Amino acid sequence: MTTRTPPRAPATGTGRPPAPAHPATAVRRAVVRQVRRGTVVVAVLSGGLTAFVAHEYASTVSGAIGVGSLTALAENPAIRTLFGPPLALDDPGGFTVWRTGTVVAVLAGVWAALAGTRVTRGEEESGRADLLLAGRVRQVTLVRTALDVLLGAGAVVGVAVTAGVWAAGTAVPGAVLFGALVGGTAMAGGALGVLTGQLLTERRAASGLAVAVLLAGLLARMVGDGVPALSWLQWLSPFGLLGRVAPYAHDRWAPLLVLGVLVAAPAVLAAVLAGARDVGTGRWRGRDRARPPSRLLRSLPGLAVQRTRRPAATWSLGVAAYFLLIGLLATAMLDFLRDNPVFAQMAAAAGFARLASVEGYAASLFGLLAVPVGAFAAARVAALAADETASRLTLLYSRPVGRVRWAGWEAAVAAAGAVLVAAAAGVATWAGASWVGAGLGPGAALGGALSVLPVALLCLGAALLALGWAPSAVLPVGVLPAAGGYLLLVLADSFGWPAWVRGLSPFAHLAAVPAEPLDVAGAVGMVVVALALAAAGLAGYARRDLRG
Amino acid sequence: MAESATPVLLDSLGKRFGATAAVTDLSLAVPAGEVFGFLGPNGAGKSTTIRLLLGLLRPTTGRAEVFGDPAGDVERAHRHLAYVPADVALWPSLTGQECLELLAGVGPGTDRGYRDELVERFALDVGKRARTYSTGNRQKVALVAAFATRAPLLVLDEPTSGLDPLMEREFRRCLAEAAERGQTVFLSSHALAEVEAVCTRVGILRAGRLVEVAGLAELRRLRRSEVTVSLARPAPELERLAGLPGVADVRWTTPLEVTLALTGPPGPVLRALGGADVLRLDVREPSLEEIFLDYYGRAAA
Ligand SMILES: Nc1ncnc2c1ncn2[C@@H]1O[C@H](COP(=O)(O)OP(=O)(O)O)[C@@H](O)[C@H]1O
Ligand SMILES: [Mg+2]
Repeated sequence: MTTRTPPRAPATGTGRPPAPAHPATAVRRAVVRQVRRGTVVVAVLSGGLTAFVAHEYASTVSGAIGVGSLTALAENPAIRTLFGPPLALDDPGGFTVWRTGTVVAVLAGVWAALAGTRVTRGEEESGRADLLLAGRVRQVTLVRTALDVLLGAGAVVGVAVTAGVWAAGTAVPGAVLFGALVGGTAMAGGALGVLTGQLLTERRAASGLAVAVLLAGLLARMVGDGVPALSWLQWLSPFGLLGRVAPYAHDRWAPLLVLGVLVAAPAVLAAVLAGARDVGTGRWRGRDRARPPSRLLRSLPGLAVQRTRRPAATWSLGVAAYFLLIGLLATAMLDFLRDNPVFAQMAAAAGFARLASVEGYAASLFGLLAVPVGAFAAARVAALAADETASRLTLLYSRPVGRVRWAGWEAAVAAAGAVLVAAAAGVATWAGASWVGAGLGPGAALGGALSVLPVALLCLGAALLALGWAPSAVLPVGVLPAAGGYLLLVLADSFGWPAWVRGLSPFAHLAAVPAEPLDVAGAVGMVVVALALAAAGLAGYARRDLRG
Repeated sequence: MAESATPVLLDSLGKRFGATAAVTDLSLAVPAGEVFGFLGPNGAGKSTTIRLLLGLLRPTTGRAEVFGDPAGDVERAHRHLAYVPADVALWPSLTGQECLELLAGVGPGTDRGYRDELVERFALDVGKRARTYSTGNRQKVALVAAFATRAPLLVLDEPTSGLDPLMEREFRRCLAEAAERGQTVFLSSHALAEVEAVCTRVGILRAGRLVEVAGLAELRRLRRSEVTVSLARPAPELERLAGLPGVADVRWTTPLEVTLALTGPPGPVLRALGGADVLRLDVREPSLEEIFLDYYGRAAA
């Protein structure tokens, strides 16, 4: 049997317009347009924050710490676990790496992971990718392009950090290494996002998995830093490599090779998987049929519970893992601070007051808890906004269901979820502390964890405000009270800013429970503000046009 | 009593999106029991009008009412209606059955027996998750949910765009049953044959303005029909047909056959034909498509 190929039509004279020479260029331009703004924001934030801290250190803190204290600090497992290995704290660069390195790396990595799932899985979920793939673009090209662009975005963030700390007057090798680490973390996060986008069919799940893997890396870093026998765990995540490279202290270049592997492995795997799956579905699709239909799905509150259940469980698990570790470290930390009072003072200046008692220690760390709990609440409202843009609410709102009623149920269930997440942290801390016999009571642990809820409610209120008036910015506006407020408090305490600036942070109105009694006035004030924000947001939501 | 009020009342309704005027000064009343066809080219503003009627968008000017309840008060207005959007989006992890239960659970009342029958008739596999559904299947979920409410007003926005011909026929049957029960239907559609088959009155929208509202029969009467006359033997006196009122495009295809376009009452033509030996007389009414294209043609001109 023979097959005859028809003669090739000449490229000209057929009446069809000529095809573009490089279809991938058009794809690249489209992806760049999607991540451009985020890249600039993250680069400016990372570069700005590190430069700012290095600069402030040079003008205020410099020289306050002696060499002897430094070694003691470096050797304490608890300090290493929580804040990363303190190295070269007498240098503005070293101090900056210790204070901001993990925060900036987490910011860059998580942003890149979310961007990675957005430009791959998100585009497929919305059906936009089909349009491109119907053209002369193959799926592998699409995924490779996304990887290229995200690696480029990571490089931009890294360069911004290097430029920032270098401009603040720190040593060049340290600045380059620090930038490479932050940029590399962003690259690894982006590649991870693209990879989970290949594995899972829903963007929300893919984003969750990518962020969970990154944060598990952070947890592995913490364990590796705290437990000498497990120090090899540091090699598994970009966060751990920060300590191995030790910018401004040892300036080691070799661990960057491992960082390269952490970037390349998910990237290569993603590109391979992209060629071997159907468009529109991930590698792991789950079952297409469900068990008997869920009985929850018969009313609005039931639907809200059904939508919130899994995220609440996942966030609780993550937070519980972190706070279990904190509980386990309680005695080590207390012993260290008793022996080194200088550091108790220094920690107080860095926003960790009263570390000397177990209640004080727990209270200081529960302050951090407000950030994930607030982010959980804001993420739930962001999910509501995403449902709206994807037109999933149109049918619901064509029934006798007012927008305020549905958004109100979602917000109420999100608030209940926030209580659960906080409680999980409290219980985990108590369990860890009991294991090492640190003497933290369950009531104290739970009370301390729950005391941060007013900040989480502020996040919920801010997110609802954005839902009503700036629906495309729900997540950033929603996490601002917790993440921005925490940063503001730390900076204000570290550099002695005026009281009114410090007072802008919700954390300034949060008592150190269980070391202190609950600041009732502060808590009530925050709840009132949260309710006002929510009311203003819902009023706007009821009045505006529905998108999608 | 609300049910005695007008099902759909639009009063100088207008909507701007920035510089785009999507709907301009639209006034319309659809009385109870009517199956109203809402026609217009892409981007004419049909979906926008429907979203205004549902309170999903806020009008820039004017107002909309559903059985006397303001469209903005959805908790009241939506007790009277069921809606099928142009493209249906469902939560991908819910099964079809869960979507139907949810929509039934949040009201208005649902006739579950009829719903199960509709699931059968539309051949919908409700055990599968929505992420496995094609466009047509998602549309079926919305259609089943809407018809099963037996709401006094059905608002349908291009409900058959994703259905195959078999399902489209089933849809028309359901629509006929609904009309028989006295439900009012507001149907936006591109399928003109469908509109012609089920609608009693149509409105034609162009660039956000309502250019015509008329009963289907009336619409035809206003338009020209094509008349073909076959003669037994030549009749030269019929040359004067061209001069009669309402007559245009007179063409003699053979000396024994003439076609002409007629607008308005046929009396003068019939009187003129009275003297001739007419073998056959054909009057063909224009299809909705021809009427429709006529309106569009004028838009393009
Ligand atoms: N959310 C929106 N923002 C801006 N313009 C819109 C929006 N929705 C519709 N339009 C514009 O309004 C006009 C009418 O659109 P639409 O009602 O969807 O038309 P139809 O349903 O008749 O095809 C179009 O020009 C469309 O581009
Ligand atoms: Mg439309």
